[in-house]
Amino acid sequence: MTELIVRNMNFTYPEMDKPALKNINLEIEDGDFVVFCGKSGCGKTTLLRHFKPVLTPFGRLEGEILYRENSIKNLDLKTQSQEIGYVLQSPENQIVTDKVWHELAFGLESLGYDSATIRLRVAEMASYFGIQAWFKRNVVELSGGQKQLLNLASIMAMHPSILILDEPTSQLDPIAASDFLETVRKINRDLGTTIIMTEHRLEDVLPAADKVFVMDEGAIIAWGTPQAIGKQLKSLGHDMFLSMPAPMQIYAGVDSELSCPLTVREGRKWLSTLFPEKDGVRQRIPLEMTDDKKEELAVEIKDTWFRYEKNLPDVVKDLTLSIKKGELYCIVGGNGTGKTTTISLIAGINKPYRGKIYLNGKDVRKYSDKELFNNNLGVLPQNPQSLFVKKTVELDLYEVIGGKNNKRMEGVDSEITKKIAVEKMAQLFHIEQLMTQHPYDLSGGEQQRLALAKIMLLKPQILLLDEPTKGLDNNFKQELGEILKKLQEHGVTVIMVSHDIEFCALYGDRCGLFFEGNIVTSNTPRAFFSGNSFYTTAANRMSRHVFENAITVKDVIKCCQMSH
Amino acid sequence: MEDTFSTYHPIISFSYFCVVLIISMFFIHPVVLGISLFSAITYSVLLLGWKKSLKFNFLFMLPMLIIVALINPMFNHAGVTILFYLNNGNPVTLESIIYGIVLAVMLVIVIIWFSCYNKIMTSDKFIYLFGRIIPALSLIFSMVLRFVPKFKAQLKVISNGQKCIGRDVSNGNIIARARHGVTILSIMITWALENAIETADSMKARGYGLKGRTAFSLYRFDKRDGILLIIMALLVVVFWGGALSGNIFAQYNPIIIVNGVAPLTIGSLITYTSLLLFCLIPIFVDAFYELKWLEMRRSFPLKGAVAVENFMLGEYKEKLKEDLVINKNC
Amino acid sequence: MLSNESLDEFLEGFLNTSVKKNDQQHKQRKIEPEEVTVRAEAEVINDDVEKIAENDDRAKNNKLGKRTWMAIIMIFVMIPLTICFGILIGDRKYYFISMAIIVYTMIPFFMVFEGRKPQARELIVIAVLAAIGVAGRAAFFMLPQFKPVVAIVIIAGISFGAESGFFVGAMTGFVSNFFFGQGPWTPWQMFAFGIIGFLAGILYKKGLLKSTKYQLCIYGFLATFFIYGGLLNMASLFMYSSIITWPSVLAIYISGAPFDLIHAVSTVFFLFIASRAMIEKLERIKKKYGLIER
Repeated sequence: MTELIVRNMNFTYPEMDKPALKNINLEIEDGDFVVFCGKSGCGKTTLLRHFKPVLTPFGRLEGEILYRENSIKNLDLKTQSQEIGYVLQSPENQIVTDKVWHELAFGLESLGYDSATIRLRVAEMASYFGIQAWFKRNVVELSGGQKQLLNLASIMAMHPSILILDEPTSQLDPIAASDFLETVRKINRDLGTTIIMTEHRLEDVLPAADKVFVMDEGAIIAWGTPQAIGKQLKSLGHDMFLSMPAPMQIYAGVDSELSCPLTVREGRKWLSTLFPEKDGVRQRIPLEMTDDKKEELAVEIKDTWFRYEKNLPDVVKDLTLSIKKGELYCIVGGNGTGKTTTISLIAGINKPYRGKIYLNGKDVRKYSDKELFNNNLGVLPQNPQSLFVKKTVELDLYEVIGGKNNKRMEGVDSEITKKIAVEKMAQLFHIEQLMTQHPYDLSGGEQQRLALAKIMLLKPQILLLDEPTKGLDNNFKQELGEILKKLQEHGVTVIMVSHDIEFCALYGDRCGLFFEGNIVTSNTPRAFFSGNSFYTTAANRMSRHVFENAITVKDVIKCCQMSH
Repeated sequence: MEDTFSTYHPIISFSYFCVVLIISMFFIHPVVLGISLFSAITYSVLLLGWKKSLKFNFLFMLPMLIIVALINPMFNHAGVTILFYLNNGNPVTLESIIYGIVLAVMLVIVIIWFSCYNKIMTSDKFIYLFGRIIPALSLIFSMVLRFVPKFKAQLKVISNGQKCIGRDVSNGNIIARARHGVTILSIMITWALENAIETADSMKARGYGLKGRTAFSLYRFDKRDGILLIIMALLVVVFWGGALSGNIFAQYNPIIIVNGVAPLTIGSLITYTSLLLFCLIPIFVDAFYELKWLEMRRSFPLKGAVAVENFMLGEYKEKLKEDLVINKNC
Repeated sequence: MLSNESLDEFLEGFLNTSVKKNDQQHKQRKIEPEEVTVRAEAEVINDDVEKIAENDDRAKNNKLGKRTWMAIIMIFVMIPLTICFGILIGDRKYYFISMAIIVYTMIPFFMVFEGRKPQARELIVIAVLAAIGVAGRAAFFMLPQFKPVVAIVIIAGISFGAESGFFVGAMTGFVSNFFFGQGPWTPWQMFAFGIIGFLAGILYKKGLLKSTKYQLCIYGFLATFFIYGGLLNMASLFMYSSIITWPSVLAIYISGAPFDLIHAVSTVFFLFIASRAMIEKLERIKKKYGLIER
């Protein structure tokens, strides 16, 4: 049965000239696993929200949306609550009540089930999703991954026939995200629930998808099976590739008549077929020479130990690390290994109980706060929203340099007034067109850039970033990467903590693997990632049997072209 | 120790506290107050432990007791037994002093009972009880309980973020500090309000606003709850009957009249007993289950289990010793 | 030294590399003078406020009736009954009667609120503001009586109407006692906070209270000192004493005055520094939630 049909749909937000959705036509069958992809702001979320009338934004709608052959507009609240489940982006904000069990029962209470039924359903859900162990807890005690799982379970408790997920893993770490997406696949597989989702982490989702819709500027530009999408995008030459999994990106850059690989496994096979072993062509990219000559150090950490409280175990153990001036250093590694703590140590928020940390050759403890955070050190928190104070982007930028009042910037040469500084900074971070908007009305990537611009107005020489790519799509990541490179060219040292190894491979100068409170190994990305066999980029995992030292998509494509 | 009374149905705990609190607030009969005081202290010791309970009582209760006991004779000059006159010519009477003490004791009792109430009547139980009568408000209540710890955590994140741009609340002059504090609060409030929009969406997505919303809870009213409720009702009826028939009448103004003490009548004795039994219900319940457990331990199958447990514990201890020796050698 | 140069250099570098882009952007973007935008926004907000006020009026006309009804029953039936019963009790009558009246006055609010099936966003707004109140009360735990609660309640009453003001107050009083301990004072605090928010809402709607900083501060001071202080002092008097005489009332007020004064000053302090920003934020939220539409 056809679950959803959209015909000739156009949608325009109030007070806007350009439609947000243009000429959308699609059909979704019962039990389908459908993925929508596209850059941030391409209208994915707007479209998904039209599949659930209570969440549909205000605006002018043309065309029709049919749910099981009836117009979705006529769907009463009860049916839509029950049959169309919608999981939103933020794990934290979706939770309404204070107890896990109460949250699970919330939807069922709304639907008016009696206690016996709710008891059964809740028990069923807790067992299916493995929630029993934390069933009676307060939601505050849960991790991000558990919270999002709880949100999913509380939707599934209502037994929806369609489950809509809007970037459900953007706030989760990679392991929690994979687990979550696996659960979604399991729901589709075991229960036959129709899944409609948008997601950045396409490598986990595409292999399971029946249909993929690629959107750009409010229109669907390609759709079909994931393999077909690979072919289509290749022929379109669209920059949407940036968001596709590595094997598909490589496929697009190489001439071949084979079908498009989706996973690393398929990618390996595909490469093997392209370059049969007997030829013996093994391309190798030479490793960059590490220049050992003495350079000025921006940050030097010497034999540092840290624990949060006297009775707790050490979080940072005997850490020694030196970072050169103008370097982009990436700290990668699993959860809870002490990466973020290390950042807080460098920033002086926490103090080590043994060992010393030098910034530009001076002990961090000898800096006064004013010295430290003006002209020296900038820290971008994980959640950029925790920096926004004012009601427009412009005022918020002025806020950090002491408001609009005195024209001259403190400590800057005479020519640069605050106005110029703010304007240029806005240009540098591509937020100049957003100056009159409220910071909270920006998208995730734009908020990130605004926060970074605020920090940069304090002219730090050392920039500490904590998970800067969290929740960003590949386009925004690319922009961020380029901005960081630009800052680096002007002598800014960047130290970032990240789970995003693809990003680190592309933009890092050196990467260090953090494990058990210490840097286990530290090297240039190429040497670092090609030396690892698990903890490395998808492109490297896919190509390591054919090419040596190819760690990014570009590397692999180059090797392929050279081999031909 | 684990309190069994708190595992009963919320209706039981709530009505228990309602009754004891009302009795302690409105009956000024000395024996009634004595019984209530005794039970309240016993139960609070049981719940909070000796140390905490004693500390609480001495640090907080004693000064309050003295102050309240003094207030009454200062302003209340009724009474027939005049002890002396104040500077302003008003008399201080024995009756008013005694009444002051009674009021003070009463206050102390109420506060001790509330310390037990706070321990037993968790927010869960409260939401259950009022989820049906005032569903929207009890949902708000649950949401507030969800938001408060969330906001506290966020406040920490924000203040760390502000610290990193050199706006620390812990140093600098007082004006700068206050300004930074206000900035942090302001960021927090915006954050809270803006993010709550998604919470509202999530409520709508799960059908909030439909007619006939039910209230689910993990509590079930079973047989043991029924039995206890009947016992409680009977005791209250007996006590109420006794109270209405004047067995525990007491008055301190203008002359002290206390019924049912000097000649200890059967009626008053029954009233006291019923009250004592009622007030001690949680303690009886706890004791009953404690005994039951002891009995279970003594029975055969569990004995085996305990033996196995002890055996394994012994083995563990051995291993621990070994480890210690190894560590020492290292 | 390096920092200044590096900033200059990097700006220059930036200009050189993307001159063309900048030109285009300059054409596209016309920064209006800031004052104009602000004024425009303020007008929008004023418009909204009027609309809300109208809506509230309409809503109130239906609902005020119901609440008045309940209130009438309470005042003319329940309260006299309670007083009669209280007199029978004897010595503890004041305490009993006052407590009962406090509870009765809150019941109509509860009933009306529950009766009209409030929407999700209304609940959220009340919950968020009450949680801010609770967190605020907890954040200043080391300064006794120096609390932002009344300020938040007043702002809630002004921005979201009398009823929301009442519930933000009552909820803050109730929930914060889950953290600080419930006691016989809970209903009094709930009522006192609630009624301050309610009055703020009513006065604002009637135009007697403007949302200017100074008026708010004056109202905040008076409300905290006389309503909150007044009610809670009476509560303790009823509890501690059997007979209510003028000297005893006077004594309890005098002994409570320093605390009430600190409390009132703290309210003024918070209203003075934060009221404008808070109201602005709430207005924006109102727009974003679409609380105006319906």
